[in-house]
Amino acid sequence: MQTDELIAVMTAGHRPVDTGWLRRATGLCALAALALTVLLVLIVLGPRPDFAGAWSTSPVIAKALLGASIAGTALVLFQRSLRPGLKPGRKLPLVGLPVALVVAWALATLAQAPVADWSTLIFGRYWRACLVAVPLYALVPLVVLCGLARRGAPVDGRLTGACAGLASAGLAILAYSLHCPDDTAPFLATWYTIAIVAVTGTGALVFPRVLRW
Amino acid sequence: MRRTGSSPPVRETQDLSLQELETRLRTIFLAALAGDAAAYRLFLDTISVRLRGYLRQMLARAGRSEASEAEDVLQETLLALHLSRHTYDATSPVTAWAHAIARYKLVDHLRRSGRHTANLPLDDEAYQLAGPADGAASEAKLDLERAMAALPERTRALIGKVKLQGTSVAEAAGAVGMTETAAKVAIHRGLQAMAKFLSRRGERPG
Repeated sequence: MQTDELIAVMTAGHRPVDTGWLRRATGLCALAALALTVLLVLIVLGPRPDFAGAWSTSPVIAKALLGASIAGTALVLFQRSLRPGLKPGRKLPLVGLPVALVVAWALATLAQAPVADWSTLIFGRYWRACLVAVPLYALVPLVVLCGLARRGAPVDGRLTGACAGLASAGLAILAYSLHCPDDTAPFLATWYTIAIVAVTGTGALVFPRVLRW
Repeated sequence: MRRTGSSPPVRETQDLSLQELETRLRTIFLAALAGDAAAYRLFLDTISVRLRGYLRQMLARAGRSEASEAEDVLQETLLALHLSRHTYDATSPVTAWAHAIARYKLVDHLRRSGRHTANLPLDDEAYQLAGPADGAASEAKLDLERAMAALPERTRALIGKVKLQGTSVAEAAGAVGMTETAAKVAIHRGLQAMAKFLSRRGERPG
């Protein structure tokens, strides 16, 4: 088939195109994935025993805000990375902002505490649980976003994967904040950051292999 | 060999700056997205001339100057553009969008055919779409019709009819006993099959 014939066929099959679909689908997929992740956390782990009294305390709100702000920023960049010609990679450092705030808060906390308490502040009670749970629950949004990425046109699979990983980690942190009983800033800054990096790395490594188009 | 000349509106766009090309293409493409088939045809004719020039230039720099190879990558790029129309962001330049897709398909093609992409300049930007375009199409090596082997007979007959100049979709649909909407869906499936066929081709080098 010659190129002008191909163009004739494409013109014949042409219909009006909705360019807003990707944006709406990203929002809906993120909400659905968040709902599913929350449901899983509540069923498998349950809310923290003191949730009724603790939900409005600053550590719990800080965890939710950390997750929500990372997820929100990363989802915008993820959606844009599915549209060729945009270069959302330049804005990727923005995602580091909430993490940097939490790290600053953690350093301030450590500076005010006696050195003998540092270990308790950093390791808390359940650092292993956090380190396993956040990446594990992040797989739910990660799979959903991977399915969505295949409907777009990612020209940089690594960037799309990193954005999807960041967004998934953010959503998982948001969901896990309902359960996580450790409330110190150094705990958040250490284990949540490691979990975020792990999920982001997974996305950046796996997506380029799955997203050939 | 069969050569196809460009239609008059395409000729005019040969020596435009990127800015002029963008202004012109954007209006046309936005009309096309709203459903204007004639505008879509004009967009594809115009962009394919620019992309052909870009791909020939890039392939030549990578040490490949066979015209049929550029034509193959061009067809792959056009299919990708078509199947990714919904990824265009209406606030961004349409030339940058088309260029990014062409570049992706070019890198993919070079990698699959087992050559290094190192010769490909990293800084090639959309402005190269405004470079000199040697417009005439050349013969493509790929046989896209083979890609449709798994599709129903009626779809193949339909595509055989619409690819000829001057046959409208309505006429072609009527001739094979389909409604126009069903015909468009069938054509869409055919184009998807072609794109799949192309991206599977040569997954193993050699």
